[in-house]
Amino acid sequence: MSIVALAAEGSTYETPGVADFWQPLIGSGAFAITRASIVIMLSVAILSWLLLAGTKKLTVVPSKGQFATESAYGLVRNGLGRDIIGSHDFLKFVPLLFTMFVLILLNNLFSVIPVVQFPTMSRIGFPAALALVVFAVYHAVGFRKHGFVGYFKSIIPAGLSIGLMIPIFLLELITDLFTRPVTLALRLFGNMFAGHLLLVLFIGGGEYLLLHGAGGLKIAGVGALGMGFVMTVFEILVQVLQAYIFTLLAALYIAGAVADEH
Amino acid sequence: MSQEPPAPRPRPGEVPTSTREADQAWRAFAYLLSGPLLYGGAGWLLDHWLGTSFLLPLGIVGGMALSVYLIWFRYGSR
Amino acid sequence: MNMTGDIAILGYGLSAIGPGVGVGLIFAAYINGVARQPEARGMLQPIAFLGFALAEALAIFGLALAFVFKG
Repeated sequence: MSIVALAAEGSTYETPGVADFWQPLIGSGAFAITRASIVIMLSVAILSWLLLAGTKKLTVVPSKGQFATESAYGLVRNGLGRDIIGSHDFLKFVPLLFTMFVLILLNNLFSVIPVVQFPTMSRIGFPAALALVVFAVYHAVGFRKHGFVGYFKSIIPAGLSIGLMIPIFLLELITDLFTRPVTLALRLFGNMFAGHLLLVLFIGGGEYLLLHGAGGLKIAGVGALGMGFVMTVFEILVQVLQAYIFTLLAALYIAGAVADEH
Repeated sequence: MSQEPPAPRPRPGEVPTSTREADQAWRAFAYLLSGPLLYGGAGWLLDHWLGTSFLLPLGIVGGMALSVYLIWFRYGSR
Repeated sequence: MNMTGDIAILGYGLSAIGPGVGVGLIFAAYINGVARQPEARGMLQPIAFLGFALAEALAIFGLALAFVFKG
């Protein structure tokens, strides 16, 4: 990180920027293995181990690990699956929703976990990939339900005057094809990106002020580090919330494609 | 415990009411974003090709008007 | 001391205050209405949506024009 290098020099302070998110560790260029890819592979390994260990020996009276796993699974299956998609055909989508929820949650929380401290969702590729998966799923569900032409017919509301039908059809088409998946990805990306920038600014800036500031600025450094602590707690809330909202919106889009009338 | 008849079997295509309301809210927001984007973008493209400069704001305002009309038509007028 | 930058960013920041307050007021009224009389929820909801759309329209104008004036 650039902050560590500059602390050794002690000369100037660079505010954190977009370049601080590009951290290639092995190799360079387009196929480098960056910190983000290592963190997400680590998160997949940890999640696999946690979920397998939590469901290894299932008993009727659950142990603590099994209870924690069942609670997390129950939250997504009931609160996001059954209550949103409806009890008829929500079971097919629960694996997708649960996987996305725990993956995004763990990767978001990695932003504040001490050694790792990098939110993988702050690189636009990861939320974009997840939003692309959701996009493929809800359009496939819509096509399967209404047929190819019927799907396009079903997005126009009934009772519209003829002259407005084409502009409104284009508008609805653009929301379904472009706005909904793009805002899904951008919401997650923007929150994680801004949160990480804030944390780096407060903690790095506080450390710089404390160690290299003139007399009165050292007190400002202590204040900045205090704000860093407050922002860390706030960021935990935002991270959990963003994971929940991503999964909630994915479930809503799928429910909208599954529903009969618009 | 009260003796209630078992809940009716769910039929395909029925989503809970709370889902419908939440879906409407998020859809309304998506329409608000897409209208100016689509028609402002179309206006900007036409500006670029025809060399005019008033079609972009016209597209943005027109797209917004169409979005608000669609939200009123779908969710406000019933 | 010189400050350089784009005043469109300042303008966008200022223009986001109005719609933020407006949308907050609309939904505060909606929540109040539903809290006082839960049966009125179906009647108040279309009005809340329409009001939200009109107030949010200005926020989205601000966002779109921030990009237009910058570039």
